[in-house]
Amino acid sequence: MKALNYSPEHLTSNRRLFWIAALLGLIMMAPVAWIIGLSLKDNAELLKGTEAVFSFPYTMENYANILKSSSVFGWFMNSMIVAVGQTFGVLLLSSLAGYAFARLEFPFRKTIFIIVLFGLAVPEQAVIIARHQMFNWFDLHNTHIGLILPNLSSAFGVFLMTQFFRAIPKEIDEAAMLDNTSTFRIFWKVLLPLTLPAQATLGIFTFLQAWNDYWWPLISATKSDMYTLTIGIASSQTNFAQSEGLGFLGAQAIFASLPVVLVYIFFQRHIVTAVSGGAVK
Amino acid sequence: MSASISIKNITKRYDSVTVLDDINLHIEDGEFVVFLGPSGCGKSTLLRMIAGLESITDGAIEIGEKRIDTLPPGQRGVAMVFQSYALYPHMTTRQNMAFGLENVKVAQDEIDRRVNDAAKILEIDHLLDRKPGRLSGGQRQRVAIGRAIVKEPKAFLFDEPLSNLDAALRGRTRLELAQLHQRLGSTMIFVTHDQVEAMTLADRIVIMHNQKIEQIGTPMEIYQYPVSRFVAEFVGSPPMSMLPINHIEKTTNGVTVEVSGAGTVTTAITLPPEFNAKDAVIGIRAEDTEVVSEQEDGLDLTIKVVERLGDRTLLYGTLIDGTELIAEDSGRSKVKAGDMVRVAISPHAAHIFDGTGLAHHSQLEV
Repeated sequence: MKALNYSPEHLTSNRRLFWIAALLGLIMMAPVAWIIGLSLKDNAELLKGTEAVFSFPYTMENYANILKSSSVFGWFMNSMIVAVGQTFGVLLLSSLAGYAFARLEFPFRKTIFIIVLFGLAVPEQAVIIARHQMFNWFDLHNTHIGLILPNLSSAFGVFLMTQFFRAIPKEIDEAAMLDNTSTFRIFWKVLLPLTLPAQATLGIFTFLQAWNDYWWPLISATKSDMYTLTIGIASSQTNFAQSEGLGFLGAQAIFASLPVVLVYIFFQRHIVTAVSGGAVK
Repeated sequence: MSASISIKNITKRYDSVTVLDDINLHIEDGEFVVFLGPSGCGKSTLLRMIAGLESITDGAIEIGEKRIDTLPPGQRGVAMVFQSYALYPHMTTRQNMAFGLENVKVAQDEIDRRVNDAAKILEIDHLLDRKPGRLSGGQRQRVAIGRAIVKEPKAFLFDEPLSNLDAALRGRTRLELAQLHQRLGSTMIFVTHDQVEAMTLADRIVIMHNQKIEQIGTPMEIYQYPVSRFVAEFVGSPPMSMLPINHIEKTTNGVTVEVSGAGTVTTAITLPPEFNAKDAVIGIRAEDTEVVSEQEDGLDLTIKVVERLGDRTLLYGTLIDGTELIAEDSGRSKVKAGDMVRVAISPHAAHIFDGTGLAHHSQLEV
């Protein structure tokens, strides 16, 4: 173990770093605190001036209004359906594809894998017009399926799962084969449970990406009842003059962030592992 | 329940590379056979072909009277213990052992009975609810063996199962495997490159070299009558010393050979008339040598290293022409590095190998 360094120079340097980090943290948190402040203020009061944020009284009325009167709850449900659907879809397809690329022998396996990886290099903007056209043909715009489908083919997911399956010793499969296990059962009962860390990582990233996605829902969901939260809130902000006020907008933004914050809180350990590339246990 | 295994004309090729070449072997029901050989000789490949984890290019494998090389691994009636144990990390010991039985729809009470019986035999009944991550290497090894036992297979296949254990545990597990074989009476094939494991466990050893079977025999047959120079050098620790032969002279009881310009060795070996002395060597095991007084016949050995093993002393030295010879003396030997000693060789114990490596032994019992 590395010995702790209690030298005055070291402690001073640590303290300096702490204050710099604290200052940066405050700068990053300021807009969040500002939005929270706005969301807790009466809209009429905010119309007079936003400095009202710093004084009492505060109210939960904006949050109550979200659940009562606005379309936010519907948008929230749309986002939830899309994000959860996309997460499960990506996990299922990426796991199956990863297993196939890592374990099964089939013609042109390497070539197909390279083609899939090539998907990482193709930006969404490059295919968006063709995709829009296709979804138009199949009449999939303004549907949940239409919002979920395009991102189910995750090149990153397939790559991640393939690498993870490859890292599992082949003797495990062989032991299962000797245990008279079918190929699907080897995948489902033996190998898939071993990929849980990779699935947690992929699931979290997919959920967050789906929840925050703006570009495709903007094109596909043109009816307001099919808006996801990102599109819905943006549309409220665009029509600021007609919206229910700044406090309500703030409450919407906080409400929209809640699932993401919850995911971060509950899966913090997996996110750290994912970001650090597995270096942290 | 166990059965014999017949390997008939088995060949394995990867593209143009031949990994196993026309292997023939019959293993009796209940026999403990060890495949022994250096890395890359094909011993693990042969085992994996019996298990069904590698396809065969040519030939047939039968277990009992049934040809099994066309069946998938799970239907061959064999159980395998892997070098890395290959336990399912997310399952408990009990689940690991029961998994194979559940796959073939064995009744739950029968699964419980078999798992509990095997756990008792292997003394792992207190570990049944633990996952592999919470087991030591030795305990994992037992679980892997338990997983094989519950299947009540026709043959057990062990692929270097002791090589991940430390020396002390390896010795103990070796003994336990021997006891397990006695208790179960099952056919067992064990792959190793460790000759001590082979010598102590096997009813018969199959020595493999260069994609072929070099020799099949009991441990003592292999040790005392190696068929080739490769077997002689591979089996035995320290390895057999090989001394170049300068001249061979027939005697009434055998031959006398002149060795490395260091002297002559009289042997009881009868050589065939067609024997070619070119590149021939005489092989001598350390325990067949004796340090004698200067008045007696023998080879003069300059000692380089002395290895004291307690019950005996190994003397590593060189003859006049620089040829290396390992001799043995008693545990109380006073010989030290730098000394020159005279070493006599038992006439019945030496082996002569011709230029192709083919062995010739004394016909007398050693």
